[in-house]
Order: sequence, then C-alpha cells, then structure tokens
Amino acid sequence: MRTFRRDWKAGEVKVLLFALMVAVMAMVAIGSITDRVHRAMGEQSSEFLGADYTFESPRPIDPSWVDKGLSSGLEITESQSFATVLSQGDNFQLVSVRALAGKYPLKGTVEMADKPFSQGVVQQSQPDAGTIWVEPRILGVLGIEVGDTIDFGSIQLTVDGVIVAAPGQASEVFNVAPKVLINQADVEPANIIQPGSRIEYTLFIAGEPEQREPYIQWIKQQKNPSQEITGGKEGTPALKAALDRAETFLRLASLISVVLAGVAIAVAAGRYSHRHFDYSAIYRCLGMQIGQVHKLYLWQLLMIGVIGSVIGLALGLGLQALVINQFADYLPKPMVGLSVAPVLSGALSGLVVLLGFALPSFLQIAKVPPLRVLRKELLPRAMSSWVIYLLAIGVMALLMWWQSQSLQLVGILLVVAVVTYLLIRLIAWLIFKTGIWLGKRGSAPVRFGVGQLKQYPAFTISQISAFGLAFIIMLSTVLIRSELLSEWQSQLPEDAPNHFLINVQENEVEPLESLLTQNNVQTEGIYPMVRGRVTGLNDMTLEEALNEEQRRTGALRRELNLTWMADVPSANKVTQGQWWSEADIQDDVAEISIGEELANRLALELGDMIHFSIGGLELEGKISNLRSIQWDSFQPNFFIIFEPGALDDFPASYITSFHLPLENKNVLNQILKQMPTITIIELDAIMAQVQSILEQVTLAVEFIMLFVLLAGVAVLYAVLQVSREERVLSATLLKALGARKKFIRSSILAELILLGLFSGVLGVIGGEVLVSILYWKAMKIDVVLHPWFWLWVPLISIAFIGITGWLGLRHLLNQPAHQVLREY
Amino acid sequence: MLRTNELTKIVDSQGQDLTILSDVSLTVNERDTVAIVGVSGSGKSTLLSLLAGLDIPSKGEVYLAGQPLHELDEDQRAAVRAQNVGFVFQSFHLLPGLSALENVMLPIELKEQGNAKQRAAELLEKVGLKERLHHYPNQLSGGEQQRVAIARAFASEPKILFADEPTGNLDTKNGNKVSDLLFELNQQLGTTLVLVTHDDRLAERCQRVVRLEAGRVVSDDTSADSQAAVMGQE
Repeated sequence: MRTFRRDWKAGEVKVLLFALMVAVMAMVAIGSITDRVHRAMGEQSSEFLGADYTFESPRPIDPSWVDKGLSSGLEITESQSFATVLSQGDNFQLVSVRALAGKYPLKGTVEMADKPFSQGVVQQSQPDAGTIWVEPRILGVLGIEVGDTIDFGSIQLTVDGVIVAAPGQASEVFNVAPKVLINQADVEPANIIQPGSRIEYTLFIAGEPEQREPYIQWIKQQKNPSQEITGGKEGTPALKAALDRAETFLRLASLISVVLAGVAIAVAAGRYSHRHFDYSAIYRCLGMQIGQVHKLYLWQLLMIGVIGSVIGLALGLGLQALVINQFADYLPKPMVGLSVAPVLSGALSGLVVLLGFALPSFLQIAKVPPLRVLRKELLPRAMSSWVIYLLAIGVMALLMWWQSQSLQLVGILLVVAVVTYLLIRLIAWLIFKTGIWLGKRGSAPVRFGVGQLKQYPAFTISQISAFGLAFIIMLSTVLIRSELLSEWQSQLPEDAPNHFLINVQENEVEPLESLLTQNNVQTEGIYPMVRGRVTGLNDMTLEEALNEEQRRTGALRRELNLTWMADVPSANKVTQGQWWSEADIQDDVAEISIGEELANRLALELGDMIHFSIGGLELEGKISNLRSIQWDSFQPNFFIIFEPGALDDFPASYITSFHLPLENKNVLNQILKQMPTITIIELDAIMAQVQSILEQVTLAVEFIMLFVLLAGVAVLYAVLQVSREERVLSATLLKALGARKKFIRSSILAELILLGLFSGVLGVIGGEVLVSILYWKAMKIDVVLHPWFWLWVPLISIAFIGITGWLGLRHLLNQPAHQVLREY
Repeated sequence: MLRTNELTKIVDSQGQDLTILSDVSLTVNERDTVAIVGVSGSGKSTLLSLLAGLDIPSKGEVYLAGQPLHELDEDQRAAVRAQNVGFVFQSFHLLPGLSALENVMLPIELKEQGNAKQRAAELLEKVGLKERLHHYPNQLSGGEQQRVAIARAFASEPKILFADEPTGNLDTKNGNKVSDLLFELNQQLGTTLVLVTHDDRLAERCQRVVRLEAGRVVSDDTSADSQAAVMGQE
C-alpha cells in the first residue's frame, strides 16, 4: 500500500491506471450501448412480425403447447389463415384470410382507416365478431365502402375498416390475393372450411426473453419439419441482412475496444516495470526474497486492477446513460433498460486484460539482479517472448470469444493480429534504416528527433503498434460504415418505388400512362408480364426429368410471371453465362435467363431447354445465363426472363411501379375508379418502417465509430504519457547544452511526424487487409481497395499524432533547465 | 569571466520560503579552475545551475562572459550557453538515441559551427575512443560514457566548463582517468573550469576551492592552502 501511495505521487501508477480506466470505460460503454440498441432494434423488428416469434403449422397445433407457453407467462395469440372468395352481388375476389382468436398484433400495431388510401388510426385488438377488416383494393374490386356488408361463406360480415398498415412479411406483399382480418369466432358459422381445405395454423408469441427463449427452444425440439418458427429478424429479409451486418459491426467494435485496451495496458505496464527495476534491485539488496518482491508487485497490480476497473465502470455507465439520454430521439423507442451482462463482462475483461498484458512485465520486476544497484545497465533475464505472446494472444482470443461468441470473427482478428505484428517488425526495421538515412542528411533537430525514436527501439515499436492499430481500427470502422450505409441507401433510396400496379390490361396501358402523367407521377416504366407454366425440360416431361423432391418446387406448381427485358434488372446479377446481345435477339432461339436458386434446385445448366405452356400455347426457351436475385429489393423479381420479342405472340398483362408520397395517395382512387381490375400493391408503410430502422441502425453504427475513435485517442494519449519522463530529461539536457526552444520544438515535431507517418502507413496496410478479410468472409461483399485513403490516412495520422503529441509535449519547452542536475 | 553579486535563491517548500543560497558574491577569472565543495544540501548544485544560467536567482546578479544572465529570458540564456558553456554531469547524460559521435557533434551544431563531424571525431580520438565513434551510450562502460561526455563538453570550445561531480559515478581508476582528461583538455584549450565535487583529490587539483555551508560561502581559498581547507572540512 505504501509503495502504491508513493508510486501514485510519483505519477507512475497514474498512467497504468489511466490506460485500464479507459479500457474498462470503453468496454462497459460500448458493450452496454451496443446491447441496449441491439435489443431495442430487435424489439422493433418484432413489429414487422406482429410478435417476437411466430410458429406456423399446416395442422392444428396441440393445445397443450399453447397452455405451456401461457403458463410460462408468455402472450400467445392463435390464428388460422386460408384462402377463400369474398363476394358482393356479382363481384368476387379471392382473398387471404387471417382469423384471429385474440389480441393482434402482440408487437407493433395495425392502422385502420374508414376510406381507402387515407391516414390510418392505430388499433390494438382483433376485429369484433361479425366484422371484417380489408385491404383497400378489395373495396374497388367488390364495389363497396366501409360499413357495407359482404358475403363470407354462409354468413355476412360488415366491413369495419380499411387496413392501412399491418404487420406482415415484406415478401408477402406480392401475393396476388389481398389480405383480410376477421375474428376466429366467425370461421365455424361461415362453414367455409371443408375437409381438405389448406389451412395454416399460426401462434403469435411474445414475452420477456427469459421466459420466451426456453419455450422457443422447446418448440424447436418438438416441432416436425413441416412446422416453422420465425423470429423477428427473419421475418423481413431486407432487415435481416441489415441487422446481421450491423450486429457484426457492433460486435467488431466491442472486440476492438478489447484490443485497444490490451495495447494501452501492455505499453503502460512495460514502462512501469522498467521504471521499477531500480526499486526491485534495492529491495533485493536489502534482503527481500524474489517471492516477496513478486508478492509486493502482484498486490500492486491487483490494486491497480480493482481501482481502475471500479472507476472505469462508473465512468462507462455514466457515459452510456449520457449517450442514450442525449440521443433518445434518434434511438429505437421504447429504449430497453440496462442489462447486467455487458457491464459485468466489461469490468471483468478489464481485469483479465490487465493480467494478460501486464503480468509478464510485472513478473519481470522481481527478477532484476540485485547487482543492478551498482551496475545500472543490468536487466532481468528476459522471459521467453513466446510465453508472453502466447499469454497475450490467449487472453485476447478468450475475450474476443466472450464478447462476440463468434469463433470465425476471433479467427479473423487473430490472423490480423499476427499479420499486424509481422508488419510492425517490418516497419520498425524501416524506421531504423530511415533514421540512419535521415541522420546523415537531416538537420540537427531532425537527427535528434530520429534519435529519440531510435533510443528505445522496443518502445518505439510499441508506440507505432498502438497508433497503427488505432488507425487500422478507425480506418476499417470508417470503411465498413460507409459500405453499410451506401448499401442500405442503394437498397432503399428516398424515392424508391413504393407502389406497384399489376394486372394492367393492354387496353388500359395508355389511359393509365396519361392519368399518371396528369398527376405528375413518374413510373419506372410499364412492363409486360405473361403468365405461364413450366411443362417440360429438355424434351422430357417434368415427371421424366425430375425426381419427386424436385417436382415439389413451388415454381413448378403454379403459373409463373414471365417477362422480357433488354437489360439485366438492377437488383440482379448474372452469375453464369452471358446476358443476351443484339445478335442473340435476332436469331430464332428464344433465350431465357433463370434465377440461380431455381436452376440449382432443378439441376439445370446453361444450354438446357425449358418448355412453357402459356395460355394453351407452347413455347421453348434455351437457358443462356443464370442470375442471382436479390429478393429483399422491394422490386418485382422474376424467376425467368425472356429475351425481348420472344413473348410478343402471347397475351400479356402489364406491371408498373412508382414512388407516390402520402399526400398524393388520392391518385390511387382515380386509378381504381377508371380501371377497377388493376391490382394496387402498397409498399409505402412497410418501406417507411424499414427505412426508419435502417436509419437507426446507421446512427448506432456512427455512435460506435465515435467511441472507437475516442478509445484510439485515449491510447495515443496513454502512450505519450508513458514516455513523458524520458522526454523531460532529453529536453532539459538539450537546454543545458544551449539549445533554444526552436530546436527542441523542431526535434519534437520531427519525431512526431515520423511516428505519425509510420503509424499511418501501418494503419493503411493493416486496415486494407482487415477490411478485405471482413468484406470477403464476414459480410460477403466484393473486396475493393481504397487508394484514396493511402494518401489521406498517413496525412491524417501525421496531423493527428502531431497535434495530440504536441499538446502533450509542448510543456517540455518550458521545463526548467536546472532539472538536468537532478538525479534520474 | 564569471561574476556574481549577492546571489540569493529562495524556493517555496510546502508553503514556506526556504533559502537555499544567500548573498553569494564570487568572481571567477578567465582560465581559473575553481572547485565548489560542501556537504549535501549546502547549495552547491543550486549555485552551479545559477552560474550556468540553468535557473534564475531570486535576488542578485550573475554575469557570464559579460552577459547579465539574471536579466535574460530562457532562449537568450540558452544562446549564451551555446556560445560559451560546456557541461559534464555526474550521471553522464548522454543522449541515448545518439551515437558517441553524434553526441559530441550536438553542441558544435548548436553553436552553428561548421565541420562538426570531423572535430567531434578528433575529440573522441583525444579521449581515447577512436574505435567507439558509432557506439551508442548503452554499449559503452561508465568510464567510456564520461569520456564521451568530456569530449562533448569541450566540443564547442567553450570559454567556461561546468562539471557536476564528474567522477562521482566512477571507480577510482576510471575517475582518475577522467579527471586527468578534464584537466589536460582544460590546459590545452585554456578553458575556465568550475566544478562541484566531494572528491578531495579532484578539488586539490583546482587553483581555488570555494566552500559552501547552508547556502553561504564560508571559505574561499586559493591553491596554496586549499588542501588544508578541504582537509579541515572533513
């Protein structure tokens, strides 16, 4: 304790404590903010599903399953879905019915209106018995209004409102049959369910994770393959991709804080132990045994650990509360509370990092030969460097795994760590060479600055590694962040089409175009669409060509939407073969492009022939390329696309899409009035919701980046603090020898600039490597290099280290010169 | 060469004024060799730092090579040192990042004299380190380091050399070698030498011994009876 107090006064403990504090603070703050934002986002994506989980089954669900859920304190709503026909007078419409037995939705809301395409009001329960809620397009088709009654099997239901927004999967919206909601009590009296009817039974499940997750696990074990359980994220493919990447990113960010902490602590502990060699030698001279010195310093380490962790923990908690409060408006609502796990793990990992990275240095202290009292140059026998590195790498891997639960990420980062280490050795060698080169040519202050770097090669390497690592991390954060953002934005630009019209007849194309033009609505073009069925492959029937499993493929069992296009659609990418050229279009063979998933499923290859039956006519197409299709693009996607002209002889209906802001929704009424058979699909509500979630994810990502930057600054500062005393000595000595302030200033700047340059170069090389690996492995996007940054990062690094360093070191200019006469 | 007038240094120690030096008046002529002796805490080092302009007095005047150090700012004092002063320290204080040669070149460059490299090499040869030009301080023994420091001190051909316990960290053999070198070069180059020491035999070799006690000059003897004065002190 006395040693501790004395060291505190001498300022030696402060640096180590500071590094640990920053580490724990960063880990606790990043950990809990990530955790809270992440959980809140999970809550929000549940709103798409209408619940935390849905469980779907083609057969009635065993009531004991529901009871089990209810008795564990969960909310469960049962429902049935089936297709039926609604009628009103002579008008009929095929609809997809959801019959609800309880509160719906459990998460999120249903918005209802009394007129089509107008502002909705939030509803919190299911429709009353005897009433029905319908999608707007049904009113047009059936020629009715809200308040009218319609025939539903053998009973009549009153239309109680129009569904403006309801939970539902984005992939569902292109279903041709519009959706209606009814009360389950009306199903039996309507008498519409006959033996053999296809019904889907659904449980909507919501509750606290502690009760929910065991129940979901239990269902997963019990369920048969035809039954399906879906969590909030999986319900919306577009969101799933975004949230998964955000998660990878946030996990990465917390790993980074671990690495940064390790570096800062290793640097500080190295200097601390070095400075304590003299004390240790004196203790030994005075008769202390190695064991006693060990004990003394291990106590010291533990005390630093506890104090640093406690302060860091408090600061981290304060910081995360501040951030969550400050940015409440932009964060998911409602914000979920703080959970214990990330806080504890932050504090504990602080201690583990301290042990892993500081222990080797501390163990060295006691091993100093007592003779050092007389011969200062004597150092303790170095511990095998393998032991030190293995310990550090082991601790790092453990922590990474702890934080990320992803072995793949840990693997990637460890590879990067080893590569970085090798790079650092290379760069250290470069410094030495450049130093000599500059030493021959540079002016005296420059030479002196270089000398300062050469003074302790090992320490310089630690410095460059710390700065370089910070830059690697910042660079990858910036790059990955902009990659995520641009991808999300391209996926959902502000003016992305949010309404689709299908079933447009040929004679309606012109009036529709003029109506839209009158209302200043810009379409994405009006495309023809032909409905046809696949009847054979390569001169064989489907039965001959395919096995039973393949024949069950959905695309073969129904009519497909076929189209023709001159260019590859924007959300698609040709993965095999060539998109057609002008020459291909001229020849007699009808070429087709097919989605790669479907091709793989049916074992189709380039050159295979597909037979279609289109409205009773036959057509054959040759596969000239395969496409990957982005199903979450909110664009109409086609399994099969023909070359232009190939479908000219077949009856087509048309499809179009456009962006329509809320205030212009009235245009839809005009369309339906003029052309009642056109089907309108509204995506605006769901797209707005996806967009708002993406914006929040973006913001979360930006926060985290800010934290990583701050942690980087902290490391830079810690490193500068650590070398402070050596620098004071050099500066006062220079003054005594008659150097003016300008000389000292120039030499400090020369040193900082070189340090910045080398760290920046290290940052660029390491950052590109890390980002490439992450793009390639974790995020599965194409690897690109960023030459622009090769110039900027070193410049920024020089400016940053120059300025931070200068702020930390300018006091050297004012060090009283007479200090040089004191013993160091 | 060096003149002080009622030099006084008072520092703040835990809220109280502590007088370290009071009313020290000295004159050192060109080519004089002066030893400042006294027990620990008697103010030797403080006096040395005031004489060399490393620190400024609380009161009194100090002139070095005709310049009023007490009136100059830090950079001006540094310039006076660069032109006139050499230093030898007890713990050598070589710059660890610079080689022996570069350490010796430094003051020549600070004085902005040409030919630094050649002159530094010559000096290192004089102190017997011809073979060690490109060694770094941590590759040299204590005695060798102090010889580099002496070469560095004489490199800029200073008018006055301040030495703070130059043999304090060395064994007798190395200490003798270093003090021989110090006086030899001093003779050759006609430098004024002011040294602070506990070492009687080193003090003996100076023409004049100034003894401090509790911040005051209690004796100031010229060569003839300096030995007696030092003996008396022990």
